[in-house]
Amino acid sequence: MEQNPEYVIEMLHITKEFPGIKANDDITLQLRKGEIHALLGENGAGKSTLMSVLFGLYQPEQGEIRKNGQPVKIESPNDATALHIGMVHQHFKLVDVFTVLDNIILGAEDTKMGFLQKKDARKKVEALSEQYGLHVNLDAKVEDITVGMQQRTEILKMLYRDNEILIFDEPTAVLTPQEIEELMQIMKNLAAEGKSILFISHKLNEIMEVSDRVTVLRKGKYVGTIDTAGTTKEELSRMMVGRPVQLVVDKDEAKPGEAVLTVEGLSVPSKVHKNDAVKNVSFTARAGEIVCIAGIDGNGQTEFVQALTGLEKASAGKITLCGHDISHASIRARSQTGMSHIPEDRHKHGLVLDFTLEQNMVLQRYYESQFQNHGFIRFGEVRSYAEKLIEQYDVRSGQGPVTVARSMSGGNQQKAIVAREIDRDLPLIVAVQPTRGLDVGAIEYIHSQLVAQRDAGKAVLLVSLELDEVMNLSDRILVMYEGEIVGELDPKKTTVEELGLYMAGAKRQGKERESA
Amino acid sequence: MKEKTPLMKRDGTRSVLASLISILIGLAAGALVVLLASLFNKSLNLKTAWEGIRLIFLGIVSTGRDAAGELSFGFNPVTFGNMLFRATPLILTGLSVAVAYKTGLFNIGAPGQYLAGTTATLFIALEIPTTVVPAWLVWVLALLGGMAAGALWGAIPGMMKAFLNINEVLACIMTNWIAANLTTWAFDVSNLKNTVENTKTAYIYKTSFNGVQTPKLFLDKLFPGSQVNGGILIAILLAVLMYIIFTKTTFGYELKACGANRHAAKYAGIKDRRSIVLSMAIAGAMSGAGAALYYLAGNTEFYWSTYQSLPATGFNGIPVALLAVCNPIAVIFTGMFMSMLDIAGQQLTALTAYNEYITDVIISVIVYLSAFSLVIKLWLGGKAKKKGPAEPDANAEKQPVPAPDAAAEGKEAGK
Repeated sequence: MEQNPEYVIEMLHITKEFPGIKANDDITLQLRKGEIHALLGENGAGKSTLMSVLFGLYQPEQGEIRKNGQPVKIESPNDATALHIGMVHQHFKLVDVFTVLDNIILGAEDTKMGFLQKKDARKKVEALSEQYGLHVNLDAKVEDITVGMQQRTEILKMLYRDNEILIFDEPTAVLTPQEIEELMQIMKNLAAEGKSILFISHKLNEIMEVSDRVTVLRKGKYVGTIDTAGTTKEELSRMMVGRPVQLVVDKDEAKPGEAVLTVEGLSVPSKVHKNDAVKNVSFTARAGEIVCIAGIDGNGQTEFVQALTGLEKASAGKITLCGHDISHASIRARSQTGMSHIPEDRHKHGLVLDFTLEQNMVLQRYYESQFQNHGFIRFGEVRSYAEKLIEQYDVRSGQGPVTVARSMSGGNQQKAIVAREIDRDLPLIVAVQPTRGLDVGAIEYIHSQLVAQRDAGKAVLLVSLELDEVMNLSDRILVMYEGEIVGELDPKKTTVEELGLYMAGAKRQGKERESA
Repeated sequence: MKEKTPLMKRDGTRSVLASLISILIGLAAGALVVLLASLFNKSLNLKTAWEGIRLIFLGIVSTGRDAAGELSFGFNPVTFGNMLFRATPLILTGLSVAVAYKTGLFNIGAPGQYLAGTTATLFIALEIPTTVVPAWLVWVLALLGGMAAGALWGAIPGMMKAFLNINEVLACIMTNWIAANLTTWAFDVSNLKNTVENTKTAYIYKTSFNGVQTPKLFLDKLFPGSQVNGGILIAILLAVLMYIIFTKTTFGYELKACGANRHAAKYAGIKDRRSIVLSMAIAGAMSGAGAALYYLAGNTEFYWSTYQSLPATGFNGIPVALLAVCNPIAVIFTGMFMSMLDIAGQQLTALTAYNEYITDVIISVIVYLSAFSLVIKLWLGGKAKKKGPAEPDANAEKQPVPAPDAAAEGKEAGK
């Protein structure tokens, strides 16, 4: 292969094996100077491994890395830094109790006679932050600033070290929609200034918006590299998953029936401030419809769900489920009255990670007579029930029912929870961000399950931060802003822009809105 | 349908092997100390060292010295019976720690629960006159009373954890010393101080003074001349009961779920606070039972002025539990092993120039290693894998690829 100075970084025919698995199998990735190059693949497709090879964390068995056409050896992150390769990790590597400036210069400090020289550093950081529109407060402590600002600190850290090649590992996973918007702009600025960016993601919208070219990996193998301009989301997802994927949920008109859940004037106190996190919320969810509570993260959705499911106490209001007043009922009583709950945090609430899959499958039902006899667990029943769910909902794991939940992939953990909650066959399903962090294949699956439940006459209460999910899946949208429901929208009649205005608090319907 | 895993690849096998390796290394360390002591002391030599080492490994079957002055070995019913007798409280405090650990709690309060059990048992056994109440009933009441007192003493840190979110280790340290002082005070103002056998001070009457003692259940026929009694059978029974509760019942499932992830347990409608208090109460009851069975033997005396020290039996429950990887059935064997070391120490003192403190060295090495038992297990796992044919990895693609973050942290830590 002749030298090709067109590319600033080339990873040619990289193969990296772990015991029992080829994480990267003959993968080629070529990054042009000044482009934003997206690396797309499902969870476990080998993206992170490939980037770790580039960053010097792993040594490939085969293949070659070139910079500006010259073969280089990257044996440690120090080598990568010397080659001006920098990485923003998904989970930031910042010292919480240091200031932003201290974090930026950490490891690259100027000293004179053993004393820190921060003056020049401050000037350089200020200039960089001006140049790229990276607004940070240099003297704030990292623990006090927002996630978005922490990320900008990480980016400044790379720029301060004069990095030319910037790797962003799933940078939007932790950001709010506004922060994502800002990040996209920052990335474009960086590219315009001649930096080359590798952008790891499985979010198709972002890739379409920001990248110039996309390299797709699937199951450790190279699928192809294409120009973003000449492709569509559908094509990308097909390349990523290996089959056509339904991006828009296929569903019929909803046929709402009886009221299943009625919430009247629910208020929930906040844990961080004196005001209520949820203020006087009222609505009804009927059988056979998907009601979605949309909103930007932190507008009271979490507190609302906790009060609804009984995890926390409400300060006022009445909740009626299937005709029973459950305002003061225990968690188990609510669940037995007819409420399934797919929780927001699958590791904290959804699973006992150190239990096996089968033990987790009966977490909500172990006490039912099907699974116990005079207090003794009927292990045979538990096993066959778990096997049934695994089969029916295609939950994949290393050792089937006896797999420890912790060792499973995020997508399959979530599938297990969805299977467990849906199979209880209860009239109300509360699903909180059921697809967070999942790839398109798993999202498609979970969406279709929720629609199937709706069609089977269940009421589905969906709480989501993803605009696409809200627009696609719901039959009715309730927008929550600062703990209040500020609007009720029909997804067929509204637009993403209008929804965004409600979510941002710029628009609201009159207080006399009827609780339908 | 379910394939049998080969013995060497089973998790349980590896745990047992890891513990055995820890024990062997610990014993070897004891032997090394004996050897070194012998090399640097003129009154000792390699011959005495060899005797000491043999006693460390085989103390339980030592029968003293024969006519020629050489160590002799064989079945010794006295040491064997005494071993079982001393194992009784160790098994129970071991269970106490193991049961709490299974529910995510570190019960360092076993000494305090043991003392609470001791006090309650002795008061009941000695204060209720057997002329009025039949002795067997007093015995039963004393055992149950000891368990109840231990349970109460365990429940206190449990409640602090459940309702006030106070770390159970801190609370346990407090309750330990409170128990030590309360016990001293209670006996000081009591009329149970032994005034009949006036040779020793600050001891309480043996329960046999009131005619209350654990029946021998024919074990004295098996091990004539030893202190053994039916208590060991009760300890084994309780261990089996704990095993059944924690592996077979919904109650155990709730306690374990709560210990492994309190939030998820709450989400599933399990009463998390109740579970934590109950876990600690059960743990306390086990320690209390240990104390009750030890002092109800009829031949044991309690030194009541405890306010400056905590009973070692309580703390020794921790290595017993760790060595057993907190498996209630395994606790039976590790408890017996620890008491066997005790016996070996006695034999060293009685038969050679070395003393019983060697066993402290052995126990401490084993405790250190039991913390490494996971490492040893992994190492055993690695061996087994290399030996076996490469498994067809059907799940390869489903395995999460190691995240670069994890690797980066590893590297940073390695620096």
